Amino acid sequence: MAKYTNAERVFQALERKQPDRIPHFELTIDRKIINKILAGASYEEFIEHMDWDALVHRDRDFLKEEVLSESPRTTRNEWGAVKRYTQEISPIPIEAPIKSEKDLANYKPPDPDEEHRFKQIRRWVKRYKGERAIVAVATDHNSITSDILGFSERLMAFYTNPELVLRVHQIVLDYQLRYINNAITAGAEIIFIVGDWAYKNGPMFSLEHMDKFVFPPFRAMVQEAKKHGVYVMKHTDGNCWSFLDGIVEAGVDCFHPIDPMADMDIGEAKQKYGDELCLMGNVNCATTLSFGTVEEVRQETKEVIRKAGLGGGLIVSSSNSIHSAVKPENYVEMVRTIREYGRYPLDIKSLS
Amino acid sequence: MNKVKQISEAIVQLKWDEIAALTNEALEAEVPALEILNQGLVPGMSVVGTKFRNGEIFLPEVLLSARTMKTALEILTPILSQQDTPSMGRVAIGTVKGDIHDIGKNIVVSMLEGNGFEVMDLGIDVDTERFVEVVRDNNLQILGLSALLTSTMPMIEETIKALEKAGLGQKVQVIVGGAPVTQAYADQIGADGYGADAVAAVEKARDLIAT
Repeated sequence: MAKYTNAERVFQALERKQPDRIPHFELTIDRKIINKILAGASYEEFIEHMDWDALVHRDRDFLKEEVLSESPRTTRNEWGAVKRYTQEISPIPIEAPIKSEKDLANYKPPDPDEEHRFKQIRRWVKRYKGERAIVAVATDHNSITSDILGFSERLMAFYTNPELVLRVHQIVLDYQLRYINNAITAGAEIIFIVGDWAYKNGPMFSLEHMDKFVFPPFRAMVQEAKKHGVYVMKHTDGNCWSFLDGIVEAGVDCFHPIDPMADMDIGEAKQKYGDELCLMGNVNCATTLSFGTVEEVRQETKEVIRKAGLGGGLIVSSSNSIHSAVKPENYVEMVRTIREYGRYPLDIKSLS
Repeated sequence: MNKVKQISEAIVQLKWDEIAALTNEALEAEVPALEILNQGLVPGMSVVGTKFRNGEIFLPEVLLSARTMKTALEILTPILSQQDTPSMGRVAIGTVKGDIHDIGKNIVVSMLEGNGFEVMDLGIDVDTERFVEVVRDNNLQILGLSALLTSTMPMIEETIKALEKAGLGQKVQVIVGGAPVTQAYADQIGADGYGADAVAAVEKARDLIAT
């Protein structure tokens, strides 16, 4: 089989075709794990060392922050959300900037045209274009609006003040459409829309609320990216069976991470959506990668390939991220197994 | 419809803006506060819990029902505290050290309160020593430990070990929960119960107190 570049391998998978081998990259990897595998390495050095097929530019890493307290580290970002850092990679929101109509009247969102947000993409284009795929994460309106209004307050406002929610959604969407446009102009080849819509038992909202508050801005984001001819991926944790059709209909190319903690089976996803979606996932990072043995990781990675690898359209990764509790040796074994057993045509016998 | 039933339905039907008036009207009509709690709020939150578990309602509805219930409870609490009110049980609950997620824990708190439990909410990022101190200094039946992250989940086990080390292992029954927590994990670390969701946590608390 012809040898593909890392980038071509990803694009083939996104088009549900079969490259020379199953691609791999992660949405997020904790700095501590990078250091344990390749001490002191930059993100780029690590990607080259592990031979990831794509680099992932995370929009939130380029939001400016005002430090409110050093211990515990507490910051206010450009959306006005006050967040506290823990040992995890993503800080946790603790105070929302908009609590009333008056706050909204005085609210100033970030500027999506600021150049510093896209410098890294331009640097990666010079260094990697044509070799490794360049992914830009766009955090979705659902997550950002939760930060602006508060997670619980926003959900209750679906009933108590739906107009306020919709107005904030529009502010966020205006930003996101400009952001996506700018990221693509800078050279991003894949827009990865990230935001959780479900938890382990099912969706966070009724389908009626999804149609009113969740899908319209999401579809607008997908269309903005598609207008420029780039690929679109969507991440949400949780049990997504009841609304996955809506994600497909929006025009998404790839769904991540098919959360096994929420009864999402990648074989079932392949069977139901394999003709319409590339799948990215789903070696369990809550259990196997964190607490399992190397052999268990190897078995589970083979199982993911066996269930969803046939015919292409698969990117193997963790079931969420390589977070700080993942055993580095387990992550390395997952990658090794993808390389060993993910060559097309797949040797199905060796995978069982 | 009688006033207590109206209060119960107001919780289920998300009448957050009517509950205070309904509660005050019931008190003015000399309905005892305890009756409003036990026959209005408790059955209301029980219906909410069942509907949530069955996938008929979702987080926005549960959160708003809980807020509606709390509005009524805030009116009733000063009255109940003057009376010798029997409670379903005393529970302390918190998110373990290193973890500052609180939404799941808050839903459990609301469900427990809505079911007549007395709840000490210890908040987030709670030190192991603080859990030990609270168990030692209070007459609790249940301690609830929550973690959302795989990386903080081991602190649940640490807390259980610390309780045992302090000789408090028999003084309280521990229920654990949170996204990465499973029944198998709960068994492995010696927890007394596991709550797969808020409704299960309340049921488990009730069962453990009854046994």
